Amino acid sequence: MVKSTSKDAQDLFRSLHSAYSATPTNLKVIDLYVVFAVFTAVIQVAYMALVGSFPFNSFLSGVLSCIGTAVLAVCLRIQVNKENKEFKDLAPERAFADFVLCNLVLHLVIINFLG
Amino acid sequence: MMNLSRSVALISLFLLPFLSSSFSVDNPTDRRVLVLLDDLSLKSSHSTFFNTLKSRGFDLDFKSADDSKLALQRYGQYLYDGLIIFAPSTERFGGSLDSKSVADFVDSGRDLILSADTSASDLIRGIATECGVDFDEDSSAMVIDHSSFSVSDGDHTLIAADDLVKSDVILGKSKIEAPVLFRGVAHSLNPTNNLVLKVLSASPSAYSANPTSKLSSPPQLTGSAISLVSVMQARNNARVVISGSLQLFSDRLFRSGAQKSGSPDKYEKSGNEQFVTELSKWVFHERGHLKAGSLVHHRVGETDEPAIYRIKDDLEFSVEILEWSGKSWEPYVADDVQVQFYMMSPYVLKTLSTDKKGLFHTSFKVPDVYGVFQFKVEYEKLGYTTLSLSKQIPVRPYRHNEYERFIPTAYPYYGACFTTMAGFFVFSFVYLYHK
Repeated sequence: MVKSTSKDAQDLFRSLHSAYSATPTNLKVIDLYVVFAVFTAVIQVAYMALVGSFPFNSFLSGVLSCIGTAVLAVCLRIQVNKENKEFKDLAPERAFADFVLCNLVLHLVIINFLG
Repeated sequence: MMNLSRSVALISLFLLPFLSSSFSVDNPTDRRVLVLLDDLSLKSSHSTFFNTLKSRGFDLDFKSADDSKLALQRYGQYLYDGLIIFAPSTERFGGSLDSKSVADFVDSGRDLILSADTSASDLIRGIATECGVDFDEDSSAMVIDHSSFSVSDGDHTLIAADDLVKSDVILGKSKIEAPVLFRGVAHSLNPTNNLVLKVLSASPSAYSANPTSKLSSPPQLTGSAISLVSVMQARNNARVVISGSLQLFSDRLFRSGAQKSGSPDKYEKSGNEQFVTELSKWVFHERGHLKAGSLVHHRVGETDEPAIYRIKDDLEFSVEILEWSGKSWEPYVADDVQVQFYMMSPYVLKTLSTDKKGLFHTSFKVPDVYGVFQFKVEYEKLGYTTLSLSKQIPVRPYRHNEYERFIPTAYPYYGACFTTMAGFFVFSFVYLYHK
């Protein structure tokens, strides 16, 4: 039983890996960006757990910037993904322009709240 | 016209010596002393004491206690700076003097030496009670000590006392070696009264009773509770000496040899003269009189006094204290003057360090509390005049632009925000121009 579960896990991982390699490059770039943003957020949360939340506004500002930009990147990925039937008629350039604008507003708010 | 202005000038010239012959803030030693005697032969029997006073520059005015022209004030001005009452048996003073006018005299800051004796009248007892000292109610009682009497005497009422208060200010720097001879009545002090002090106490074996009659009940005043000579320094720094014995001041006891019973030391001369002289120097403000200049405070590095401090400011504080040496103002040297930074309770209490030239200074940080504070110097040392100085100063919190601009603990968050922005910028390039 143990051997079959570990073999199943390996098979699962291999099939995931091969399926993922098939995705288009631009989606992979977005994924990388999301991972980077979430990783930065996790580092900040760990730091806050260590030192305490003294300038709480700075902590919120930092975490929000990372999470906000990650969310916006996920939205971009959904809109740009050709396999998504819902956004078939949406031009990818329009999606990217929305992404950039929202990020600009986000970072303006972040810098103001940073203190 | 010329004649009138000339006579006015002459009269003012005549009055000038009277205007400058009282004690003042700059010259606190008393000058004119009224001596009330109930028996004018005291002038000769206590001549040594009076002559030492005269040789130190005092102006003694001897009057009989029932002289009808006695007056301490005229037209609202006090005529004397000090009063010596050596009239233990006087029932009523003459002239305008009574126990109330003596109390007012002390209230005005002037000094008093009061001596009772074996026949102390109610008037003298009343004046002593006003000063916080209670004589034994039994009018025929004297202090008797069967183990601490002077061997020259027969009936154990001449006490050889050496239980003196330990104070260099009151009794002088040199120790009084010989015992002090005393024959008179006992008095006691209320233990809750913190203005009176026992200068010469009786030994634990003393008691107060009538020496000629048999004791029917245990005496009320016994042991060290009996005070033979006490002093009082009032809150306005007037000084009062109250003694239970007039003979303490007499020439006979000054010259007499002293040997305490049970002790082998025989002294040629009793300690009376030294004791009385030093005590008179203290009571007439020749010693132990302090004067303080104003409190000076400023921020470190500045010289002007600011109108308001901010919390966590560094400030320096100094005060100048001088001591009267009998002739001039000398710098006061001590290591126990303290300053409080006070608002309902002292937030900072620091001992001031002295530069030995009369300037006491310290520096500290304003506490992290805002409000209206006072610099308070409350100095009450035994035998010295009390100093009570205060100066008010407000303390404000930080202004909104006095906080630190960038908080060091938040540097990772600042870094994260800017990294995210840079990452977004790089991502958009990569996303647009990748192949």
